[in-house]
Amino acid sequence: MQVIGIDVGGTNTDAVLLSEEWEVLGMAKTPTDHSNIFASTKQALDQILAHHNKRAPVQLHLSTTLSTNAVVEGRGDPVGVIVIPGPGIDLSTYEFSFPVYPVKGYTDHRGRIAADIAPAEVLAAARQAKADGARALAIVGKFSQRNNSLELAAKQVIEHAGLGFRQITLGHQLSGRLNFPRRIMTAYLNAKVAGIQLEFAAMIERLQAENPAISAVRILKADGGTMGLAESCSRPIETILSGPAASIMAAQALSRYTSENIVVVDIGGTTTDIAAIVGGEPVYQRGGAVIGGYQTLVPALHTVSIGLGGDSEIHIDDSGVRLGPKRAGRAAALGGGVLTPTDAAAALGLADVGDKGKAVAVLEQKAWAAGERFASWQDLARAVVDAFVDQLCAAIEAVYHSLENVPVYTVSEILASADIRPQAIVGLGAPAEVFIPLAAKKLGLPWEVLPYHAGANGIGAAAARPTVALSVHVDTEQGLMIIPEVGVRERIERGLLFDEKDACRVAVDHTAASAQKLGLTDYGDVHIVETEAFNVVRGFSTVGRIFNIRAQIRPGVRRVR
Amino acid sequence: MARAKRSVGLIFFPAFDWCITPDHPEREERLLYTRDQILEEGLLDIPGISEFRPYVASDKHIQRVHVCVTSVAERVTEPHRIAVGGTMLAADLVLDKQVDCAFALLRPPGHHANRVVHGARGFCTVNNEAIMVEHIRHRLGPDVRIAIVDTDAHHADGTQDIFYNDPGILHISLHQDGRTLYPGTGFISERGGPAAYGQTINVPLPPGTGDQGILYVVENLVMPILAEWKPDIIINAAGQDNHYSDPLANMNFSAQGYARLTEMLKPDIVVLEGGYSIEGALPYVNVGIILALAGLDYTQLREPDWKPDELRQPKHVMPIVKSTAAEVWKQWETRHQVRREEVFGRSAFYVRDRSIFYDTDQIMENQHERIKLCPDCPGWREIDSQTAGGWSGQAKVAAVTVPWKACGTCRREAWDTYEQLGGSGRFDQVFYQDCGEDVFLCTPDHHQPWAL
Repeated sequence: MQVIGIDVGGTNTDAVLLSEEWEVLGMAKTPTDHSNIFASTKQALDQILAHHNKRAPVQLHLSTTLSTNAVVEGRGDPVGVIVIPGPGIDLSTYEFSFPVYPVKGYTDHRGRIAADIAPAEVLAAARQAKADGARALAIVGKFSQRNNSLELAAKQVIEHAGLGFRQITLGHQLSGRLNFPRRIMTAYLNAKVAGIQLEFAAMIERLQAENPAISAVRILKADGGTMGLAESCSRPIETILSGPAASIMAAQALSRYTSENIVVVDIGGTTTDIAAIVGGEPVYQRGGAVIGGYQTLVPALHTVSIGLGGDSEIHIDDSGVRLGPKRAGRAAALGGGVLTPTDAAAALGLADVGDKGKAVAVLEQKAWAAGERFASWQDLARAVVDAFVDQLCAAIEAVYHSLENVPVYTVSEILASADIRPQAIVGLGAPAEVFIPLAAKKLGLPWEVLPYHAGANGIGAAAARPTVALSVHVDTEQGLMIIPEVGVRERIERGLLFDEKDACRVAVDHTAASAQKLGLTDYGDVHIVETEAFNVVRGFSTVGRIFNIRAQIRPGVRRVR
Repeated sequence: MARAKRSVGLIFFPAFDWCITPDHPEREERLLYTRDQILEEGLLDIPGISEFRPYVASDKHIQRVHVCVTSVAERVTEPHRIAVGGTMLAADLVLDKQVDCAFALLRPPGHHANRVVHGARGFCTVNNEAIMVEHIRHRLGPDVRIAIVDTDAHHADGTQDIFYNDPGILHISLHQDGRTLYPGTGFISERGGPAAYGQTINVPLPPGTGDQGILYVVENLVMPILAEWKPDIIINAAGQDNHYSDPLANMNFSAQGYARLTEMLKPDIVVLEGGYSIEGALPYVNVGIILALAGLDYTQLREPDWKPDELRQPKHVMPIVKSTAAEVWKQWETRHQVRREEVFGRSAFYVRDRSIFYDTDQIMENQHERIKLCPDCPGWREIDSQTAGGWSGQAKVAAVTVPWKACGTCRREAWDTYEQLGGSGRFDQVFYQDCGEDVFLCTPDHHQPWAL
């Protein structure tokens, strides 16, 4: 099937049409209208549909900044969060910027209920939230991913009372990971942007009705994968940060390096994003996405953004030349008034951008103003280019240094750390042609600058495939199997015979079933990405086993030709 | 998220793939629930609390403390090297001012490991704190004053053995009375060697001692002693088997108590030792310690089964605790008035003979030790050690140790003794260890296990 990828970026909305053979059939670009995302999305779609044979079915992949912007700008429904913390760290330590309503009840680390909720208290909390102006609600318990019953019971109490909340998000459904404050923030944001995503989904459905060729719609996620439109309404928070994810997926789709370790460097005007791909798989953010000051449990690709780009400020002092972190403005060569790295590259003939004469003029003026420091404008231009390359290489080194120092919890991982260092550097973005070869030379790596840098995010959106991840927790002493994301809490029979293989099989089966249930027929293989197995020993004899398994349909790409 | 008032470096290494045996208390599962609780409480997201990955300690680091028979490679496994490296990293983070304080929350533990190592005893093979202390001295020089406060329920006999005659170290061990618990030592009469008399301080506590008793000792004994001795660095060897739910000891301490203890002690470096109530105690105690180190509110923390009325210490406990504390305080105050000859004799050497049992590896070691009574320095020392049982069948070794700030005479005598013992044919192996010069030698050199 042909695929249309649309990336609603901060400046432009890019659209790309891919053929069934994964060739680029057409590209379109239109300025993003932030006051009316729907209109600019529709415009991009109309433009790209001009390249499309109207009768062939086409799948639409959308990467939008809608939730990202809503989170950053604090828009969305007012939300009250009912929390079930039990004893532990004082709630005030978390300093939430939104109202939380603590109620009694406590689940311990094994998922055992140490104290029940009091329905009257839960109801009073919900009424208070309503009175305080909440239109949506989130309910989050400590260790609710080990036992969701307190969250479910609280929801039932509130729904039964018919208080008319637009949305009730439950913490355990969003992630199987441990982290109570992040689960609270994730659930809060999810409830907050749910209304916006619902409106957006309704618009997309209208577009689909107008264009019957669109057979299915997929929404890009922060982990570089896609999900269905309906699912995006129940888990809208997962659509945040899909733009940076799309650019990494584009790099994977377009690069000639398919299974190596590569560093992906996306150089823009103001910032440069650095991402690591290890053995053909992108590296995930530890913990989860961080956005607008909120630490969430949303699975996201690990990207590090630095304030360095083609339009960066240039600082000159006795210690030398330093670039960024702010944008200086439009390059002199392109009709702006300020000196930028782009001008240095243009003046030295490294890039064919705008008016070289204007670039030279601004360099001459700056070199003169800097006094004795530079003998000529060429000296200054070379110093600027060198500073760019030095800062970029230092940032790449820092990314790998921190990835290599991520704490691990087993002896074998300490002794046999996987080699994640890049074997090649892959560049995206307009300035990449100038700076990537120079950085590669300094790092001693082969390099590649990808084509289509102008519409790369659209390609990334089109090339992305569905992802699903589930966490399976098995506790044979208690005879329980729990998969929080899909609400499974089942007894397991014959726990003595239940082993790690069984746990992995369960995880794979549930993940595949979950993908099918979500209508994601075009998914790749299910991988087991984490396994932990422990004997539970009490009083010198083994009484059971605990397994923590994480299964995932990993983000995959179609290789674009 | 509130910022930590003191920044904390956490070296968390649960060694999820290491055990002594699969059903041993020291097994893979030990820090599983602690990991879950720390992650779930979101402690690692608090600005000012950061996690670090341990490095792997080398033979040289370990030999600054230990005489491993026949070699480090023979006795010490990779998990031990990681635990040692993680503990040293905790010190590095503090010395480099990367953090205000650090917590080496890792296993395997170390405080029962003596200077001479024939195997594992009390689940310990090498002494994490002791190796860290030598690492600190190699960075800061021999004048640094280091206090170790060991709050494990078991007497820190290994740490005591290593620093018994070391004037740079103050070693305080609070523990359940040795008459009722392994390793059966740690009485108030054990007060240190000739060069560090009074600087080994043992506070044996009766079974049943709870928050009230332990906090009384910390507030009224430990803190005043520290205030007077003025250490540059305070290390807390934080065993967690004083907890009321611990299966191996009989004390009544709670997570609140541990957090309060940490808050009072304000240690620069905390190192996990024992603690085997892995579900009911460790998750809460460790969260409490981290919160207290960070200067954050821990008052809402408690164990799910915590019932203050049932955990009140028995009535007879407090008078015993108070009188022990009073006696230890009197010993501390009068330590300079004690005539050394009365304790250590008038000969050239102070001599002691000991039997040391390695419960984990089932080895019996007999030690004959002599320490030079030197007027100018702490004095060199010779340890003759003979074992029966365990891996080796029988081994007979001697170790000659030159202390920090040794005088020329002691260094010369120690070297002559090493050469003479090495040539005597009486020993399978003879070791030479010079702390200040950072020298470790061995004859014959069994770096390869098959050389025996």
